[in-house]
Amino acid sequence: MSSSKVLAELLWAEKYRPRSLDEIVNQEEIVSRLKKFVQEKNMPHLLFAGPPGTGKTTAAHCLAHDLYGENYRQYMLELNASDERGIDVIRSKVKEFARTRIPGNIPFKIVLLDEADNMTSDAQQALRRLMEMYTATTRFILIANYPSKIIEPIQSRCAVFRFTPLKKEDVIARLKWIAEQEKVEYDIEALEAIYELSEGDMRRAINILQAAAAIGKVTVDAVYKVVGLAHPKEVRQMINLALSGNFTEARNKLRQLMINYGLSGVDVIKQIHKEIFSQEIKLPDEYRIIIADLAGEIQFRLVEGADDEIQLNAFLARLAFIGKKLKV
Amino acid sequence: MTRRLPWIIKYRPKRVADVINQEQAKKTFLQWLESWLKGKPSKKAALLYGPAGCGKTSLVEAAAREHGLEVVEMNASDFRRKQDIERIAKVAATQRSLFARGKIILLDEVDGISGMADRGAVDAILHLIETTRYPVVMTANNPWDQKLRPIREASLLIPFKRLTERDVVIALKRICSAEKIECDEKALREIARRSEGDLRSAINDLQAIAEGYGKVTLELVRMLSTYRNRQYAPFEALKNLFNAKYIFQAKNAVSQADVDYETMMIWINEHIPTYYDDPEEIWRAYEALSRADVYLGRIKRTGNWSLLPYVFEMMGPGVAFARKIYRYKWKAFRSPQRLQLLAQTKRSREIREGIARALAPSLLTSRRRVKTDVIPYLKIIFEKNPKYAAKIAIGYGLTEEMIRWLAGPNARQVLQYYRKYKK
Repeated sequence: MSSSKVLAELLWAEKYRPRSLDEIVNQEEIVSRLKKFVQEKNMPHLLFAGPPGTGKTTAAHCLAHDLYGENYRQYMLELNASDERGIDVIRSKVKEFARTRIPGNIPFKIVLLDEADNMTSDAQQALRRLMEMYTATTRFILIANYPSKIIEPIQSRCAVFRFTPLKKEDVIARLKWIAEQEKVEYDIEALEAIYELSEGDMRRAINILQAAAAIGKVTVDAVYKVVGLAHPKEVRQMINLALSGNFTEARNKLRQLMINYGLSGVDVIKQIHKEIFSQEIKLPDEYRIIIADLAGEIQFRLVEGADDEIQLNAFLARLAFIGKKLKV
Repeated sequence: MTRRLPWIIKYRPKRVADVINQEQAKKTFLQWLESWLKGKPSKKAALLYGPAGCGKTSLVEAAAREHGLEVVEMNASDFRRKQDIERIAKVAATQRSLFARGKIILLDEVDGISGMADRGAVDAILHLIETTRYPVVMTANNPWDQKLRPIREASLLIPFKRLTERDVVIALKRICSAEKIECDEKALREIARRSEGDLRSAINDLQAIAEGYGKVTLELVRMLSTYRNRQYAPFEALKNLFNAKYIFQAKNAVSQADVDYETMMIWINEHIPTYYDDPEEIWRAYEALSRADVYLGRIKRTGNWSLLPYVFEMMGPGVAFARKIYRYKWKAFRSPQRLQLLAQTKRSREIREGIARALAPSLLTSRRRVKTDVIPYLKIIFEKNPKYAAKIAIGYGLTEEMIRWLAGPNARQVLQYYRKYKK
């Protein structure tokens, strides 16, 4: 076992994640407020809000680590709203968790609920009751991309922390530091390219860096190659097929995307939305607006629980019809 | 996919003599038609009635062909639209020129027009009969409905017999020898028995089996009849849906089918481009289907079942009337690829889920996010750098199956390192 430990590697997003609040280099104001909770050994319910990859979940784990020590995970129930099947599952897990003993010197345990904004408002109402019911022995940390999607009664019961997008120099400094730890050769322009491509999402930036390093020296070309490989061209091809009037082929592409890449309908429509305004798609501008509006409607229906394939086929059929009209 | 002609069209009777076993009806009809051509019809319209698939429309077409007449077919439900009434009335009232061909105005399935909504249709038909200069022929399965009374009174009624099993077998045999397919006599008798005298459905069954299996045996026919209630039922329902002439037929096709509506939706979703070629038709059909899906979703979320009729209206008539023109369509049986693909890729999806499960807790994120944001990069590492990949596999306790899935063509190399390091 000891030898396999030496030969084991981790993903850098995990390997270089801060373990303690002291290791977090940005979000200074948030970190200092969280450190107060550690000193006082008490905290209210918390709501961490902000874009993906800005350190919300990491901060929650660091906080728990600093409160309970190395084995903090036994005092924390980790739930992810987008993986759990409904509020009933969440309720029974919380109930089970709250029943067990609390650690000696901290008078509460933590329920960490990630991607809480993926819950319907009905489920959030049920969650609010849970928070009240177990408030004597547990604290909730809710994590969300969009705080406005969290219902008012929950927001008012939580201390809200707004995580801001990471600054370019912070991201690049971190990537540089990791690259040096790993003894990876890199061009500084490549790190800048990673920042641009990752849209301020640190986890994504680190993933790109690691994949590029696996190929060889981290250059701008390597970075673009990696991102190109990870993000299939099929979405664009699918749009172009539909616009050329070939609905059936476009539909086949859609199936490939959903099955081979395991994309959900929402993933696909979001990627479509990104492509609509790209100049790679030849289309008069007024149609881009019409199509974007339609994409929005389809995304809304999917979020509401409509069928992925039927809705996306309806979208592609509309594109094919528009494509035909443009050709005439 | 080659475009095959439906056999019910390919083997339509070309001559009156080919119409099977309706001697009395033929005689009456031909006499009436000839009286028209001489200019002195006793009644200006004829109403041909009898069970489905017994040869009513076939006789009209064969007779028209023999007399060099053109059949102008009119869907009776079109009578609701004013411009259609005017169009057909104009055609019917125009004096026949010396050189133009004569015409027969055919209104198929007039019993499809429904009471209140179509009150105007009955009046329009009566007006047409009054003013026409050409023979008007109508068909119906059941002419005895109260609302058709005025039409019955204005028409010569010509009854058609239900075909016997023997009649159906003879017709099927003829097709078998023309198509040069091996047909077991017992099998044909079984098809005939189940058709209950409906030659059209018997021919459709024959074609489904013959094209699916290259031969027609008793076992295959029996299998088809057990299929009917399961895999075959949606196919049947689709055929009824896309060939519906009236709203109520399209609605019945989905609401009374032997299939639950979610399965039905999957089938419609699959086959809209099978039945439609025109981008506008495809778009309109999907638009309707997607609305049905939205209503169904709302029902499921709110438990408000009073919305169910809208689901049926959108997925039934909404899809059927996306077409620009009506024509009968026959398509070969093909089950939805979506179901096949899901079955084929089940293992692959399970492996992906397993990887997500292994990684999500240590990456502090959801399995969904691992799938979209992490696995694509992991795959690059596994495909490009076997040594490093093997170490990561050990770091996260991935199985050999997961390694194979991630590394694809590079799997052997990764596994070599993996086994070496593991020791």
